[in-house]
Amino acid sequence: MMLKIIIIILVAELWGTAGQILFKKSANKVATPDLRSMASYLTFVKDILSTYTIWSGLAAMAAGMVIWLVALAQTDLSIAFPIDSMQYIVAMVAARIFLDEKIDLMKLVGTLLVVAGVFLVAVS
Amino acid sequence: MKRNPVTLKIFAMIVMTDLGESIAEIFFKKGLLETGINSVNFGNILEFLSRNSSSALVWLGIAVYIVNFFIWITVLSRIDLSIAFPVGSTSYIFIPVFSMIFLGEDVGPERWLGIALIVAGIHFVSKSSHKRDGDR
Repeated sequence: MMLKIIIIILVAELWGTAGQILFKKSANKVATPDLRSMASYLTFVKDILSTYTIWSGLAAMAAGMVIWLVALAQTDLSIAFPIDSMQYIVAMVAARIFLDEKIDLMKLVGTLLVVAGVFLVAVS
Repeated sequence: MKRNPVTLKIFAMIVMTDLGESIAEIFFKKGLLETGINSVNFGNILEFLSRNSSSALVWLGIAVYIVNFFIWITVLSRIDLSIAFPVGSTSYIFIPVFSMIFLGEDVGPERWLGIALIVAGIHFVSKSSHKRDGDR
């Protein structure tokens, strides 16, 4: 039963992470906005909304949310939330594979501390 | 690949999305309670959706989500996802601290320890962005 919940949450996280990866790919494709200029920001928004990756990212994220709700329907938040702390590891590994973002010692240690912290807050 | 450091402005934007997310959750929760349906199944899912879509609170929550989306993609245009994502765990700090201040809830020792670990983790992850690994 517990294993089933963990797997469902992991699948939800994979979809959510796929969405984040696609968002990041969209952001990498377009020019970084100058936040002091409204025109520059509007160009950024227009450019990013015309990438197909942003829309597939939104779809992936919606799928992740539905699967998360399926998990919640079968278990308590007090169980689902601590398990959800795995998402930071999933995202770090996915960013390494699909975005070529490096994992250095600082990032690894920091991410594991966040996972441990989120787990403790969620479980208490 | 962008390897810019986490500036105060970027950090503030990430914190704003976390706060927005927490506020939207409260709107959704209040909106859902107002529908008066406490269990969703295949028989009542259409009624559930129609009652939700006429709830102002649910739409307010969706509006906050849309604003959050634009802030988040702006953050991603500046820093790595593997940095932005763990830094975005600040809602796990705000929720207990706000519940303590505004709702008078007790924050136990495990929770304080968890908060301390998250703060340390965010610090380390933000530091990692300063290393360029000779890619520039």
